[in-house]
Amino acid sequence: MARAAVLCGLGTYLPSRAVGNDDLARELDTSDEWIRSRTGIGQRYLAAPGQATSDLAVEAGERALKSAASGTGPDGADAVVLATTTPDHSCPATAPVVASRLGLGTVPAFDVAAVCTGFLYGLAAGAGLIASGTADSVLVVGAETYSGILDPADRSTRAIFGDGAGAVVLRAGAPDEPGALGPLVLGSDGTGNELIQVPSGGSRRPFHAGQAHSEPADPYFRMAGRQVFRNAVERMSDATTEAAARAGRRPEELDVLVAHQANLRILHAVADRLRLPRERFPVHLDRVGNTSAASIPLALADAVTAGVLRPGHSTALTAFGGGLTWGATTLTWPAVVPV
Amino acid sequence: MNDTYERVVRLLVRNFGFETGDVSPADTFSELELDSLALVELTLAVQQEFGVKLTDDDLGAQSTLEEAVKVIESKPVAA
Repeated sequence: MARAAVLCGLGTYLPSRAVGNDDLARELDTSDEWIRSRTGIGQRYLAAPGQATSDLAVEAGERALKSAASGTGPDGADAVVLATTTPDHSCPATAPVVASRLGLGTVPAFDVAAVCTGFLYGLAAGAGLIASGTADSVLVVGAETYSGILDPADRSTRAIFGDGAGAVVLRAGAPDEPGALGPLVLGSDGTGNELIQVPSGGSRRPFHAGQAHSEPADPYFRMAGRQVFRNAVERMSDATTEAAARAGRRPEELDVLVAHQANLRILHAVADRLRLPRERFPVHLDRVGNTSAASIPLALADAVTAGVLRPGHSTALTAFGGGLTWGATTLTWPAVVPV
Repeated sequence: MNDTYERVVRLLVRNFGFETGDVSPADTFSELELDSLALVELTLAVQQEFGVKLTDDDLGAQSTLEEAVKVIESKPVAA
């Protein structure tokens, strides 16, 4: 029988500093009403000075391992996949230091770069490690510190993004048991790569001297909101439909759809396009903003804690992000207790 | 106005909280205070309602409802 990847642990971490809309309104031309009406976001958390992405990832990873060990999961993990847009360094990857600090020894560890779709791509990588027999268990972490790449003067991105981390443990199991990931639908469209971008600091526009560029360096995260909005709605709803179909489910049979927490109006538009009640889409972004690759595990834990997502629920996960990238998968929610 | 117009007005009522009497064919989206995200939402809703494909620019802030109706009617209906 095929080795399925079974979700058996869930852990999250948010930094302690909460920043409300009124806090932003004190330094930017914005207001609580402006931010809420356009995004649904009320506050976000920011990493403390000196707190890096790996620091958040270790906290969430430790909790996910604890959650797994208290349930049907293994003690530890054979591999670490870290999805992030904001690694500690541009070289090397952040996952190895996370694995070491978690005491996992010399396990394989690597980063996945798919921006806000990173967690779905990370799940696919983890499921692949299990299917190929490379690992019997994988820690998949989404961790972000967008506060370090946002333009202090950009009221739209600063209102939207927050820092945070979430992680799951996948273990080898049977395709028909609760928690087994269904087929992962993934996609990309590089023709839209400039719609979500940090223009400078990579090989296209390096920072270092000797590389003359006509345009001034722009080290900040940039997003073309309107085009991203439309693409996000169309890609997430279509990917969800496809993932459901490939798992033999119809969209209307899905009890809970945990979509990347980008914007409340995007969640509503996805629900409308799928002709599903908006209530089936848990909302977490009102309290944490858009945490990019961390948003799905954070939203999962919040939905479980709130009693909205319960064992046995037919569940879909979907995300859209820079690249452009998108993805979706399905699972029957397992009896996992988030830590 | 015609049936297409009535259906667009129904979308505005359902999705954006307008009353039927609030809008008239000569109103621009900007006059109706639909912001850029709302125009994207309306674009998606029109596509679903009419089974047509719209570009990002088909419904502009300065378009009147009458002009938007003509744009929608000019689009081939997907099979």
